[in-house]
Amino acid sequence: MNKKRLLVVDDESGFTRLLKLTLEKTGRYVVREENDGTNAWLAARDFRPDIVFLDIVMPKIDGGDVAQQIRSDPMLAHVPIVFLTAIVSEKETKNEIGGFPFLAKPVSLDSITKCLAEHLGSVDGGTV
Amino acid sequence: MSIPPPVKNRVLIIDDNPGDIFLLREMIEEDPNSRFQVAGEAGTLEEGIRRLQERSFDVALLDLQLPDSRGLDTIVQAHAAAHDVPIIVMSEIDDEELAVRSVQMGAHEHLLKGRVDAHIVQRTLRYAVERARAEAQLARERELLQTLLENIPDRIYFKDRESRFTLINRALTALFGLHSPEQAYGKTDADFYGQEHAGEALEDELHVMETGEPLLGKVEFENLADGRKSWSLTTKLPLRDRKGGIVGTCGISREISQMKEMEEQLETERNLLRAVIDNLPDLVFLKDIEGHYLLNNMAHVRWLGTTDPADVRGRTVYDFFPDDVAADFHRGDMAVADSRKALINQEEHMVDAQGNHSWRLTSKIPWLDEDGRTVGLVCISRDVTEQKRAEERLKKANAELAENREELLRAVRNLQQAHGELREVQLQLIEAEKMKSIGRLAAGVAHEVKNPLAILKLGLEFLATQKPADEQTPEILQEMGEALERADNVIRGLLDFSAPKQLEVKREDLNAIINNALQLVRGEMKNGTDVERDLQSNLPPLPLDAGKISQVFVNLFTNALHAMDEGGLLAVRTFVKQLTGVGTNISGSRSESFRVGQNLVVAEIDDTGCGIPEDKLAKIFEPFFTTKPTGRGTGLGLSVVKTIIDLHGATIDIRNLHEAGVRVTLMFQS
Repeated sequence: MNKKRLLVVDDESGFTRLLKLTLEKTGRYVVREENDGTNAWLAARDFRPDIVFLDIVMPKIDGGDVAQQIRSDPMLAHVPIVFLTAIVSEKETKNEIGGFPFLAKPVSLDSITKCLAEHLGSVDGGTV
Repeated sequence: MSIPPPVKNRVLIIDDNPGDIFLLREMIEEDPNSRFQVAGEAGTLEEGIRRLQERSFDVALLDLQLPDSRGLDTIVQAHAAAHDVPIIVMSEIDDEELAVRSVQMGAHEHLLKGRVDAHIVQRTLRYAVERARAEAQLARERELLQTLLENIPDRIYFKDRESRFTLINRALTALFGLHSPEQAYGKTDADFYGQEHAGEALEDELHVMETGEPLLGKVEFENLADGRKSWSLTTKLPLRDRKGGIVGTCGISREISQMKEMEEQLETERNLLRAVIDNLPDLVFLKDIEGHYLLNNMAHVRWLGTTDPADVRGRTVYDFFPDDVAADFHRGDMAVADSRKALINQEEHMVDAQGNHSWRLTSKIPWLDEDGRTVGLVCISRDVTEQKRAEERLKKANAELAENREELLRAVRNLQQAHGELREVQLQLIEAEKMKSIGRLAAGVAHEVKNPLAILKLGLEFLATQKPADEQTPEILQEMGEALERADNVIRGLLDFSAPKQLEVKREDLNAIINNALQLVRGEMKNGTDVERDLQSNLPPLPLDAGKISQVFVNLFTNALHAMDEGGLLAVRTFVKQLTGVGTNISGSRSESFRVGQNLVVAEIDDTGCGIPEDKLAKIFEPFFTTKPTGRGTGLGLSVVKTIIDLHGATIDIRNLHEAGVRVTLMFQS
């Protein structure tokens, strides 16, 4: 079975570790954590993810800028990006920020799997 | 009744021969009708003189052969003793020479003894007494005339046909500076006066002599040769001889320089007074009790339409004004005269003889004589037309000023109102600034709190997938999950409350928003809760931010449902209302933006819940204020509602209903 590759960029290492733990435990995802936003692009080049979860508010670099870097890289331009944010509620932003989908923290596992399914196509059977 | 005998003249006989005395007495007193009686006898000259000095005799008979005196010297002594008593000498010597000498010595008559009879004696006595009397009379008259001439201060002169002085009195002598009048005799005026007077005087005198007519009371200017000048009042008369022929002139002249000077002073004074009243622009005039003008100054003369004061004097207002106008004037004058009280500064509108209108201040003062009777009126009248006009202008200006003041006050009120509005805007700006700060704070808090929450949430969910350690573990995990949810709700509410306050306004259907919001809160409805909708179908579309208004209704419905834990009725109504007055349904700081007559769209939400404690009503819109038990509300719901409603320029009113529950009233401007 082909595991989907998820790159999660967030300075909160506790969050990335738990996400990695939870998702990889399903056996359907390979998760790479990146806690330094400035390394995100190189990490993406290196890891070649199927999807990127990107925190917006990070030290040194903004999530939006990282999205820009990834989008302008021809090798990565097609990779879907989902924002993670702590400062807006879903109601207000109608599930989009600058054309990108997003997930509001604290996000439930249920929302994450729904989101992944939506962007990566149906992931065969199984539960989280 | 008998006529008393006439008083007889008293005769003194001075003679020492008793026989002669007897004879004389016989001749004097023989006739009972004799006017004489012998009142005394003297035998010597000495005694005769003594008796004469008694001055009680009218006539004396004197013998020249007395024992103590003989001859003519006797006459001299007797005459000296009494000048005014006529003496008749009785002599025995018929000597014409002696008779003449006797008369020259002062005797009245010389009679020869023995040659006289009663008749002669009587006649001689009579003549002597009469002549003495005539002479005394003449002497007295001459004396009086002399006294007059010498003492009168007026100057008197007599001149001959050639106007040469023949007599001048003491006053004229003094004027000419002469020692005696005789020094002037034979001289003329030209010797004493300057040519100016002398010539004129001569002409006058020639005229008097030529015509025989007197020159009476002529005022003459006299310039003396030495330079003195004076004024005099002179009368000149023709002098006639017994036959009536004119032989000269006489004149009397009185110095009147002082009078003349006084007259000139009076004239000057009169002219000064005249100058005063004639130069006054005020009308000044005096009228008698019948209204005849006695004195008018030039201003009044001109006002009456003439230039000559003589045209006015003695006439009345009736001569210058139509009868009805004149009658009015006259009545006014008479009222003052009758009242005897001065009328001061009466303002009146007048039309003069030329028809010119003016406003005048007139004073009329009764003119009283020494006995206090009113004999006329003194009037003075001033033209105050200009002042009157200025007064009118002032009044108008004052009125305009008052009007301007009103406008100013209005402007000030407007300014105050504008100021109030500005203050409110300022407060709103401050509020907005505050909200921005809160927004930044909220964003920071959200970030810092939500990240840990995210970790906790993922962690809980991870644990939930593990095999539980004991049977309580799932319940504990459940509790932890709910707590996490609550924390997340608080942060989310804070974000909503502080979210950027900009509306995306479109024309929206309020009813649709309400229906949608009801849909969203369906999950909060307990069993036994009914919803009643009464939404007016043809509401006008309103300028609203649909998302935010939806949040308003969600919050309000949520509150209502939370208040009805045991179930109840949630009633929602919408309708259009025309504002008829600012009533109790409108509250909040925006109520002044509503105007009477405006159409409003009203939404009412009633519940049948527990209501709001009255003492908490005032605080319900404050952030973090809640009446809900801990864990059920964030305390931000109504704050968010109020903020959104204010942004829409709408109002919200929340009050307890009498029966039970709460009514929320929202009003939107259409």
